[in-house]
Amino acid sequence: MKLLLKYPLPLDEMPYTAEVILETGAKINIDLATRGELIVDVPGDDVEHVAELFREKGVEVRRLMKLIAWDEKRCIHCGACISVCPTKVFTFDPSWNINLEEEKCIRCEICVKACPLSALACIE
Amino acid sequence: MTEKSIEDINERIEDGSVRVVTADRMSEIVSELGAEEAAKEVDVVTTGTFGPMCSSGVFLNFGHADPPIKMQRVLLNDVEAYAGIAAVDAYLGAAQLSEDKELNYGGGYVIEDLVAGKPIEMKATGYVTDCYPRKDLETTITLEDLNQAIMVNPRNAYQRYAAAANSTDRTLYTYMGTLLPNYRNVNYSGAGALSPLYNDPDFETIGVGTRIFLCGARGYVVGRGTQHDPANRFGTLMVTGDLKAMDPGFLRGATFYGYGVTLFVGIGIPIPILNERMAKKTAIRDADIVTEVIDYGVSRRERPVLKKVTYEELKSGMIELEGKEVPTSPLSSFFMANKVAAELKREIEHDKFFLSPQVERLPTDTVAKPMKQPELPLVKDVMIRDVKTIGDSASIAEAAKLIMESQSTHIPVLSSDGKLAGMITAWDISTAVAKRHEELAEIMTKKVITASLDEPLELVIRKMERSNISALPVIDDARRVIGMVSSDEISKLIGKRKKWQWKLRI
Ligand code: SF4
Ligand code: SF4
Repeated sequence: MKLLLKYPLPLDEMPYTAEVILETGAKINIDLATRGELIVDVPGDDVEHVAELFREKGVEVRRLMKLIAWDEKRCIHCGACISVCPTKVFTFDPSWNINLEEEKCIRCEICVKACPLSALACIE
Repeated sequence: MTEKSIEDINERIEDGSVRVVTADRMSEIVSELGAEEAAKEVDVVTTGTFGPMCSSGVFLNFGHADPPIKMQRVLLNDVEAYAGIAAVDAYLGAAQLSEDKELNYGGGYVIEDLVAGKPIEMKATGYVTDCYPRKDLETTITLEDLNQAIMVNPRNAYQRYAAAANSTDRTLYTYMGTLLPNYRNVNYSGAGALSPLYNDPDFETIGVGTRIFLCGARGYVVGRGTQHDPANRFGTLMVTGDLKAMDPGFLRGATFYGYGVTLFVGIGIPIPILNERMAKKTAIRDADIVTEVIDYGVSRRERPVLKKVTYEELKSGMIELEGKEVPTSPLSSFFMANKVAAELKREIEHDKFFLSPQVERLPTDTVAKPMKQPELPLVKDVMIRDVKTIGDSASIAEAAKLIMESQSTHIPVLSSDGKLAGMITAWDISTAVAKRHEELAEIMTKKVITASLDEPLELVIRKMERSNISALPVIDDARRVIGMVSSDEISKLIGKRKKWQWKLRI
């Protein structure tokens, strides 16, 4: 299972992930790391424990069921995804570039079929 | 009165003094300066479109094999190209599907992969002659290895497109994209005011031989496209260009889910502003371009028009339909269309992209005719008119008796006013007995799939297949049952009328 971790601001460079790995012995993989946010993959049995420990350290933990993934290089900004999305995740900016507000996504996967360029996918 | 010639404009391109604007800016300029002044100030207006154009493809020449082969069947990454032209030529159509990946790969993708320089698996078979002794071959080719790769698109740059909505209660997957049930979205296509043929609707400058921007290369208008219907403002162009000079950023293979493979093609056409009249025409705005919203829920050639809308309304992201605000999606990319028009402008200004006069004007009065077909069999040709029905207050036992006596497995249930309320089948009765139900109304199917008198049989057969049913009632406008069609009756009648068999593919 994937967890989205949001580190408390200001970032104080604490090695939380390393600490949690040591404390639980869980095999945690880091999938994606940006400043202040981390997506980690945790074996199913350890999820509860790991999430608990992160929370104790003040880290915000969200379980990711599926994410809508957008292949920006493949996208031609046609907009076919806009009208089918029930929660208006996609919008045009003034120069007709497509914008995504992923946090609105309810993972219904309708847009995945609607995109003619296969630029959208729901990832586990 | 300003009158310029193409030569005058080309001289300015030569000495770098040419003044070019993209079509979206022209309406502003004309409303500011007036058409007369605008015609003096502007030499060329560049247009652009980037949309799915199924009627596209490439002629390929592979060079001769050793020993030589006369190719009869050619597969490129498992997509068939038409090889009925000489020994080692083939035409690969954008909409051709892959033999094994079906809708997920096809001609459009092979064209994209070729332009991107990717290796393509080629398989060919032929028949043996004295001059062509070889039967088959397998090799890998890239665009570089080909003698020629010439894009020839029989129908591109449609002047306008209808917008699509869906009245039915299931999602439709069409060449107009995913259409949600009950008019929950509207899809449209075309570049609006940036669209090439909208800026020269009477084909005054665009004609045979016009030099154009085609997917990053310099291409040409061959002539009128297939289905060219300028009388109804549905003009089309046949265009050509050298695939080897194309830019992978301006063409893209794509799949419309449930429909098929296509190619997104980027076309830009320069419009010379020869006079005030052309300045006026190129000042067209999205608000001036009207199209129709069509109900794709009706599976006929003539689909009902729901309303007229302008591109300005469509591009606002919402239109009103049947009293509701409905979100809209373009299927062609405005972002890319702008990029095409801007790139064409740059090439005219800095890269010596010269304009060419028409060699011949395109016809302006032809229309596209429908297909000549033998008459389609209709529901009324095969339906049973003597239908046994039952009232919705009857008991299950009475229904069971009727089914046994009438030997029909499907009985329409009528409400007290004589209208269709539901259907009851032998299967419903047996499950009702098992579950100890007593009321007919409890066990009948209430969401009945129906047919009408003048519906083509082919559509009814598709309904039956989709819903896995073997009979359905035929009703009139007042929902009164006037007949039944069943798959048994259809096959019996089809057996008698030989000429229908091939048409219904049974
Ligand atoms: S449908 Fe696909 S290609 Fe078109 S804008 Fe959306 S993500 Fe991009
Ligand atoms: S999965 Fe559904 S909610 Fe999420 S972006 Fe796609 S259409 Fe919108």
